[in-house]
Amino acid sequence: MPTIVDRSLSSAAAEVQPNVNASPQKRMLRSDTAKQSSPMKLKSPRRFMVDSPNSPATRVKTELAEKLTIKTPVKKLSDSFLDKPVWNPTDVNQLSAVKEALHVSTEQPTVVCREDEQKKILEFCKQCVKHEKAGSLYVCGLPGTGKSLSMDKIKGCLIDWTQEEGLQQPDVLTLNCTSLTNTADIFTKILTSCQPQKKTRGPTSPLKQIQNSYSQKQQSPGMRMMLIIADELDYLITKDRSVLHELFLLTTKPFSRCILIGIANAIDLADRFLPKLQSLNCKPMVVTFRAYSKDQIIKIIQQRLKVLPYMVFQPQALEFCARKVASASGDMRKALGICRSAIEILEAEIIETKCDINFSAIDNGFSEQPTAAACEIPKMHENNVVRMDHMAVALSKAYRSPVVETIQSLPQHQQIILCSAVKLFRRGKKDTTIGELNKFYMDVCKSTQIPPIGIVELSSMCRVLSDQGILKLGQSREEKLRRVALKIDEADITFALQGVRYFRNCLQ
Amino acid sequence: MGSDNPAEKALILHRTRLSNPNFIFTHFSNSPDTNYSKLKFIISSSVTEACNNSVLLLGPRGCGKAAVLELVLDDLLKEYPDMITTIKLNGLLHSDDKCALKEIARQLCAEHQLSFSKVASFDDNNQFMIDILRECGLAHKTVIFVLDEFDLFAQGKQRLLYSLLDAMQSVSSQAVVVGISCRLDADQLLEKRVRSRFSHRKLLFLPPSAEDLQGLIKHMLLLPTDSSISDDYTTEFNARLLKLLEDGRCKDIIDTLSTSDSTFNHLIRFIAVCHMDMNLGFLTLENFKAALTGVQRQPKLECLKDCSILELYILVCMMRLEFREQESYNFNTMMKEYSSIRDSFKTCDYYARNVCLRAFEHLLQRELISLVDSRGHTQSLEFHPVKLLVSAPELHLGLKSNRCCPAILQKIIDRG
Repeated sequence: MPTIVDRSLSSAAAEVQPNVNASPQKRMLRSDTAKQSSPMKLKSPRRFMVDSPNSPATRVKTELAEKLTIKTPVKKLSDSFLDKPVWNPTDVNQLSAVKEALHVSTEQPTVVCREDEQKKILEFCKQCVKHEKAGSLYVCGLPGTGKSLSMDKIKGCLIDWTQEEGLQQPDVLTLNCTSLTNTADIFTKILTSCQPQKKTRGPTSPLKQIQNSYSQKQQSPGMRMMLIIADELDYLITKDRSVLHELFLLTTKPFSRCILIGIANAIDLADRFLPKLQSLNCKPMVVTFRAYSKDQIIKIIQQRLKVLPYMVFQPQALEFCARKVASASGDMRKALGICRSAIEILEAEIIETKCDINFSAIDNGFSEQPTAAACEIPKMHENNVVRMDHMAVALSKAYRSPVVETIQSLPQHQQIILCSAVKLFRRGKKDTTIGELNKFYMDVCKSTQIPPIGIVELSSMCRVLSDQGILKLGQSREEKLRRVALKIDEADITFALQGVRYFRNCLQ
Repeated sequence: MGSDNPAEKALILHRTRLSNPNFIFTHFSNSPDTNYSKLKFIISSSVTEACNNSVLLLGPRGCGKAAVLELVLDDLLKEYPDMITTIKLNGLLHSDDKCALKEIARQLCAEHQLSFSKVASFDDNNQFMIDILRECGLAHKTVIFVLDEFDLFAQGKQRLLYSLLDAMQSVSSQAVVVGISCRLDADQLLEKRVRSRFSHRKLLFLPPSAEDLQGLIKHMLLLPTDSSISDDYTTEFNARLLKLLEDGRCKDIIDTLSTSDSTFNHLIRFIAVCHMDMNLGFLTLENFKAALTGVQRQPKLECLKDCSILELYILVCMMRLEFREQESYNFNTMMKEYSSIRDSFKTCDYYARNVCLRAFEHLLQRELISLVDSRGHTQSLEFHPVKLLVSAPELHLGLKSNRCCPAILQKIIDRG
């Protein structure tokens, strides 16, 4: 049963918006969409009363809603979802509340779906503080997976825990390595925060000062531990990797008091850039924040929407969005952005229908106005949630590239240049000179009786196209010998130009 | 004088409109589906709802990205006079992070009437920007960052982009980042961290389509009914203009105009070159035709019209050599070709070698041909490789328009 649901959902999604691609490629091969057949046949024997017009997509949706209520974990959430009243998008307060709930910067009380990772890191920090031992940890993961957000929460939890246990509260230094002009400035920052009263200038460099203080036994016992959280650690990578090494080696000093947590995107940063640490047996512990899966994305969005007393999204629309984002990158920021733009699309649609209703009411005359308005209201009520088609439009806007429209709107001669480039590159060679391109271009022009432009104009048009990222031009002393290559997919050009009969025949 | 006044006033009105670079884009401010209204909606909703946003404007050069943004910002400044601060950066000038932060600090100081210190360091400027963003967030003022030539900011380590977009992830700041670029894949140039923080909103600006061109011409040239120009002149002018634009020949002229370059600037240049006859006082089809030939000038053609017969022979010989794919040729090779033409076509135009050399030098001076590389003047002129600077179609047209061109030359070049 679940497999049928999956298949029908994905092909329904494909039918609703055939241009949305499931793979993480940014470019969609338009030639594939031409091969798609007519709408799929439903495999379920059940027949439903279809109240809203026609498409098999709505039938699949209602089918899906039934099937969703059978599945257990999703059932609870979708049920609680469907219990809430529908929101009113024309109310400005509600609109701004929803947008705020979905904004990336809105603070959340808890960070869901990251409990395991947070527990691991918190345990590590607690051990270090309890035993007054230094240690290093490396947090890695793709962008938008909740690393910095979790670290903020962990900071707060650690401080609360130390207060409860009666231990000394550690100093916390959070810094973003992009804000350092010099990579070695990180040591100055560490020094100023652990010894704020002492002068940082002097004959010895800040690094040496820290190393000295960590190598000697402390005069005053019970000095505070220091928690250093370094965000975007790969900005510290220099050619000789000395800064990164020294930073992690600080934790190996005999009397070191720092707990170092580094955050970056690369999984193997520790292996690739810190090989010496392996030999010194102080490799940092690695905690990986995996990309969000579809269920996690749904859970996070629903948790954000729980604060609102009304229902905003149709559950299928949320699932559609989560599925697409999870298969592309698993980036939570993108999912939230797409939800917000789906809301804006709904807003625009409602404004348009309101204008239409006003016009039709004026047309129908005053006597019919109440009935017209009355039958519009229940329709609007049902239409107020964000549906699959809004989400499909938002997803296609997020994932499509503007290449096809731009090619279609290019002036005629530039289109002919692209067409001749495609024909030339079909022969096997992937780049050529402007002189060769000119010859092909003149042939193409001769067959259409369009007067060709000279080679000087041609090369300036090639420069315009390369400015836009469509062609790639090389350097040469002679204009004729500059190398030209195509930067976009040949199938995109074929798809874009298929509206013109001449190009269609030419590019077959 | 009295009858000229309305025409002159109309002319002044047209010229004012043409000199304002943003006027042509106000045509799009009314319809709800255009980029103008979409951009206005995005920025105004960020201002009113106090949330952060980022948007990318993409499109070929000359399609009005910066102009539309300026119109939108002007409108918003009128609507919300104290709530917006604009910072403008250009990728050609400020792609280096230090320069960019210094410029941001300077513009912020100018906006808020603080004194700017030139010796402030990178860290100081950075801290200043973060503080001002926080202050503006508390005061509910939005800071709009306009990044022109956005793809140039995406070179190197992209630190400026990262710090701007990261500042927008926190609740305390209220900022909008608008990037303008002519590269269609500008957002693919961003690092994955920066791309994740950048919202995926893109607005595509395209050159006007054929129907749009008609609408734009009407927008620029139709006289408003409430100006100081007399009413009957206005109605007559508008009626004639509309009739003219419906004419098929006029539509052909506009189509020819847009086959090579369909951007807005090209259209403005075309309209600017349309000279209205002052005595008549109205625009006619001949004005449009004259403007088209004015825009599509062929300077080499005018040179070719004045060439002597021998010079034309030399050009035709060189064209034949080029057709035969000869990589490089010089005066001597050209003379051989000339004698072979004389033999095969039995022409009577026989000129001595030194006369030919003199004609050759004339052509060099008029830049219809040129030396392949201008170094090595130790060689005498006859052995220097040369190349043609006119293309084959231009030469054909030139031969046709030259009054004293012998018919045999036309035959030779058609055959060859």
